[in-house]
Amino acid sequence: MHKDPHSSANSTDESKIKLLPLRPASQVMQLERLGSFHQSRLSFMRTLVRRMVAENWQITSPLFDLDDQGYGTVVYEVEAKYGTFSYVLFSHYLDPENRNDRVIANQWDLTMALCEGTVDAEQLEFLRANVPKQEAGRVDSRVLVLSRANRSARTFEYVVDELSQGRQPDVDVIAEVGYLYRTTAAYGSGKLGMADWEKVRTKHRDFARPFAAEMFTCYMLRHFSMQQADYLAAQRGPETAVTLHQDIRRYLGIGNSTGLGMAPFLINHPLLINQWIEMRETALATAVVASEVGVDKATMARLDMATERVIQHLGEIITADERQKNSNVVVREELQALHLWLQEQAADLAITHYVWADLIQYAEQHWHIETQEVINTMLIELYPDLVDGLEEQMGTEESQQITPEMSVADLLAIIEDKYDWALAIDFSKHESMGAFWYRSQEKMEPRLGQTNIDMGMEKEMPLAVGRRVRECYDLLQHYNKTCPEQNVAHFIMQCPNYSGIVARIQTMAQSRYGDIRENLVHSDVLPIYLLRCKLSFFGVSKFDPRSRLWVRNTMFQGAPLISDFGSANADDWQFPVKPVIRPL
Amino acid sequence: MKVSKNELMAALKKAFEGLGFQPGDYYDAADMVVWLETHGFDGFDRLQAVLTYLNTTGPVHADLVQEDDHHSMLDGKGTSILLCGSEAVDLISSQVMKGSWAALELTNCYNRTFILQRLVKAARRNLAFIAYWRQSDYCVKVSITPGAQLPEYQTFTMTGEFDSQSLRIFSGTDIAVIERQFSKELEFGVFLETYTAEEMLACYSASVEQGIEIDEALWHTLDELVARILVESTDSSRDGAGGS
Repeated sequence: MHKDPHSSANSTDESKIKLLPLRPASQVMQLERLGSFHQSRLSFMRTLVRRMVAENWQITSPLFDLDDQGYGTVVYEVEAKYGTFSYVLFSHYLDPENRNDRVIANQWDLTMALCEGTVDAEQLEFLRANVPKQEAGRVDSRVLVLSRANRSARTFEYVVDELSQGRQPDVDVIAEVGYLYRTTAAYGSGKLGMADWEKVRTKHRDFARPFAAEMFTCYMLRHFSMQQADYLAAQRGPETAVTLHQDIRRYLGIGNSTGLGMAPFLINHPLLINQWIEMRETALATAVVASEVGVDKATMARLDMATERVIQHLGEIITADERQKNSNVVVREELQALHLWLQEQAADLAITHYVWADLIQYAEQHWHIETQEVINTMLIELYPDLVDGLEEQMGTEESQQITPEMSVADLLAIIEDKYDWALAIDFSKHESMGAFWYRSQEKMEPRLGQTNIDMGMEKEMPLAVGRRVRECYDLLQHYNKTCPEQNVAHFIMQCPNYSGIVARIQTMAQSRYGDIRENLVHSDVLPIYLLRCKLSFFGVSKFDPRSRLWVRNTMFQGAPLISDFGSANADDWQFPVKPVIRPL
Repeated sequence: MKVSKNELMAALKKAFEGLGFQPGDYYDAADMVVWLETHGFDGFDRLQAVLTYLNTTGPVHADLVQEDDHHSMLDGKGTSILLCGSEAVDLISSQVMKGSWAALELTNCYNRTFILQRLVKAARRNLAFIAYWRQSDYCVKVSITPGAQLPEYQTFTMTGEFDSQSLRIFSGTDIAVIERQFSKELEFGVFLETYTAEEMLACYSASVEQGIEIDEALWHTLDELVARILVESTDSSRDGAGGS
């Protein structure tokens, strides 16, 4: 089972950790709060970048074979600490009319594969025959990740044109988009014949953390995107071209659009999600405990600087989504109040016991939920030495198991205690079951339908955990009245169709945070919160919701470049802001 | 063709869902097939053999026909262990937790080798199991010590009469105690062969490292079963996915 940092010694002092004031599940597991999370030090992009920088990974390109349009094949060789990997990229012509970021697309500007070891000519041809097809192709267990990307119509040509004419692109134009390419999928974990997560975890220590290989694939896309822009600029203006300014390079990220495909993951992997959240909450509690006897001036100043940076970062986000736009305005105003508070009362705050607990409490009582979570992530950022060790505990074994000897009465009590939120939902109301999730024939894409309007209700995906708990609870109550001495094994003999939800309830009851507390089949459910939660653990920034079903964002914006590997202080890239470019 | 373990699990879960299995059942059934195949027990052949049956009947579970504190008998009603194996192992486990030992007989059931995975998983809770069943003209005996990752698998010649579609399971907290306590029931004929833990482990390691070889026809069959849970795509349904 998963490790419990609160009961066992790990990198943090055991006696202290037992006292950590972790927030309760009733607060943390509310969907709106999960959907207000931001990147933290434990996010997978951050931990990957820290590892690459600290271990000074060496990345070369033994094959860089592009034509004058930028189409062709590139192979990067990656010397990580424990192994060698190859990142193979195919750049293709794509008719702009066929450029589609949806899962259902079947052509892309770029397709890529991350492979173990080096790639010989034979394997390269195998990859060339399959990688561009993505889901329609097959790869093998030497491949760790398969991915694809599309160019930004707004920035790519503009940047290449500017560079080819000897000019740096306008940072304001860059800021509007934030990237040259968007990734539309990064598949790992054994899909399409690739290496299983178990193989990656046990054989390739460099990528033995959740989604590390997938994040690396996106990081390399970012690197290629800038290298390709430089290359094309040089092709077009051999006499005049300049290369992208280093600060602009760091500011450029990778675009991402995430739709409903990501949502079922959070419901189908409850133990993993619990683990991620528990580690994040442990990091926050560690920060609170670190302020036990006050906070030194330097730490206070770092928080103040971070606050100013977030204010600027949020101000630079361009989104048409009214809810997100208003939220960004409110968060900025509230962070401005925090900034003033830190400025005016720094001396007093520095000697206040548990000052961060006071700050968190004040924010919870007075400020917007998104402000609260921004503050929390900033507090975690202040204590790298105390929290970074938690990054090794972001994985867990995901096995749900029935405890068959448990009495039915005990199981009822567990449901009343841990799933009170589910029992509080009135499922007799139409809106409580107004939506359903299903898989489409188109690439099995998960979709959200309206009950009694859309087709497919009979093929509903089992994501309505709350409703299933309610049904199980009602059956258990009836069973307990008729057979009060019986246990869960007997109940399942009577009601075998409920073994799945019983296993889930009993397993999750042993975890600290348990299930996400939301009715996911309510008419007004906001799946975007699910997406944002997972994306925050990935480490994306600049959330730009396009509807309640999908969100645009950027990956690795502000992150160090490959040329920064091995240097100190390269980890400070949370909430990236526009660089100020000074003429050379 | 080769598939990964994760990919196979995902396909099997959906395929069993397509056959009408409920959550819980389809997780367990997929686990059983994958475990057998990755440990060298011909999981795919056994799956092929049962698919026709599963395809022609709705999911059937076993009935509890007799029970006291330490003994229970289930009627499998002709169903597969893929559907009734979990409830049998859960039932005997609950009896051991309450009374330190138990014996269970499951009659009229098929594909009994699939029980291996359920027993290995249950043994993680510090339970020991011995199970045996008749396989054509020989007998299979499986022993699992508490917490063991792998079972001991042996075959013997038959002695006496034993129903050809039954499965017997004995459980306690110590394998030696079970052997002694049920020595009469655990009398077999001549030892034929064993499939060692090393062989199972080697097969599993190769599956993880290189993927799992699967017949394309079976993969196609699974695809067809998966298709049953998919909903036709329309312009309106595309709006329900988000995206540009």
